[in-house]
Amino acid sequence: MTAIQLYLCLGVSLWGLGSLGLFLATNFIRRIININIAGNGVFMVMVALASREETIDPVLQALVVTGLVVAVCATAFALRLSVAHTQSKQDSER
Amino acid sequence: MNFALLSMALPLITALLLLFVNRRAGSIVIIASLLSLSAALAAMYQVHLYGVQQMALGDWQTPLGIRFQLTPVNSLLLVFTALVHSLVALYAAYSRHSATNTTDFWPLALLLHSSLAALWLSSDLFNWYVTLELLGLAAVAMVSLSGPKAYRPALHYLLLSLVASLSYLLGVALMYGRYGVLDIALLAEVTQADATTQTALILMTLGLMLKAAVWPLHLWLPSAHANAPTAVSALLSAVVVKGPIYILWLIWTEVAPAELAQSIGFYLALLGIAALILGGWSAIRTPYLKVLVAYSTVAQLGYATLTLGLLLHWQQTQLLVALWLFVIAHGLAKVSMFLVAGEMQATLGSNRVTALKGATQTMPVAMFAFAVAGGSIIGLPPSGGFVAKWALLQPILASPTNWPWAIGILLGTFASAVYVFRAVVLSFNRADPIAPDFSPDRFSHWLAMLPALMAWLMAIVSAQLIRFLGGVA
Repeated sequence: MTAIQLYLCLGVSLWGLGSLGLFLATNFIRRIININIAGNGVFMVMVALASREETIDPVLQALVVTGLVVAVCATAFALRLSVAHTQSKQDSER
Repeated sequence: MNFALLSMALPLITALLLLFVNRRAGSIVIIASLLSLSAALAAMYQVHLYGVQQMALGDWQTPLGIRFQLTPVNSLLLVFTALVHSLVALYAAYSRHSATNTTDFWPLALLLHSSLAALWLSSDLFNWYVTLELLGLAAVAMVSLSGPKAYRPALHYLLLSLVASLSYLLGVALMYGRYGVLDIALLAEVTQADATTQTALILMTLGLMLKAAVWPLHLWLPSAHANAPTAVSALLSAVVVKGPIYILWLIWTEVAPAELAQSIGFYLALLGIAALILGGWSAIRTPYLKVLVAYSTVAQLGYATLTLGLLLHWQQTQLLVALWLFVIAHGLAKVSMFLVAGEMQATLGSNRVTALKGATQTMPVAMFAFAVAGGSIIGLPPSGGFVAKWALLQPILASPTNWPWAIGILLGTFASAVYVFRAVVLSFNRADPIAPDFSPDRFSHWLAMLPALMAWLMAIVSAQLIRFLGGVA
């Protein structure tokens, strides 16, 4: 098994673990972390695919950068929503 | 092509403008949507005159650049999107009960419009990922507009939408790793039916099915759509869930090798039948009006899945006419139904179906709009829903071995008739009508009627529409 194959396998397993964790976890923060683990798995697959040859494929790296931007925005939004949700739940319990 | 780009860019520019201008947002959005609608109509006319058009963004040619294309199908979808957005903007600005008038609804609606237009025009696997994310983020933000009770459904929607995007993205990565291109026209030339391609396509399909709420991945839809503000529910049900279906259709008809498409088509069609029956069953059982309309979306998406499945299974490309007519007829009818449901809920002060008792007496126009839209959902002739169903039934009835599919469609139609009539029959129970809390808002009832009438008007122009989409009328 070459290094690239190892990274590919690790990436896919991270994606699988994260996706599975999302459905098993109940706490919203845990679920958001799971999404990020799955996302990093996908990015790892893409980076591993990009470095298969001597010259690294710039297209895949550009895709990863775009994906990271999207992931950061989505995570920020999800965290804000989960804070708002927790606050509104506490307010209604009071 | 320029008009199509204008139709996409106008909402985006206006949305950015609205971040600085806070006054009269409603009127600005209505004007922008109507301008975008006229640009989309012009684009459709161009397609009619000159046929399919291509454009390389920034003059970067494929495989490195991003290609936009304008076809009969997506020009029609551009018009449809702009039309639905104009109607909903009118409602949101002028209805007394729209809870969205002074909120961030306006820029978000425009962003949603723009990202949908970008999705229709794209023809690149990764660009679709980006537009899907834009669409998802805008949609979730709009669901959360209805306040604390919607935060939980919005969060669920966001997380599922993210996991779906990641599944799609992993598929795209595998596809690129295998073939080294992302443009669907280039992919179409090189794809082979091997294990990697199959895995990549299945990962993409799973992600898209979750986003399009294809049964059994639909569980997020009813709570998200029913908890959103009325104008938002209408947009989400009418157009947003159709975006992933467009991508599914293109990747399976263009990119996927025919033998893979044939085998997956059978299962997609089965899922469609299950959605029709079980989604319909849930709509029959639910006590809440908006949830009924939302489950009706799940059931009706079953028709889209079934049509797509049969198209792939039999490799009959002319079924695309049935698919897109369904999408448009359902979209128009669903806008109408959600607007009526929202109005009823606000005026009667209850979100239950039973509150409709005697509504034909207190709110005749709104109830009539609901019945008219329901007629198109059931597929009564001569509505848009009927034309689409007829286009789907023709190849099914052509040979006796296909007849079992017709039974599924029959059961689905029966279920939709039951849930529409369940509401309509209650509203004719005039013996003891439930009095509205305050006087009904006639103008918005007429507004809700408009899209329902358009769904029926579709039947009149159906011959032209079918010919435009490349079918035989």
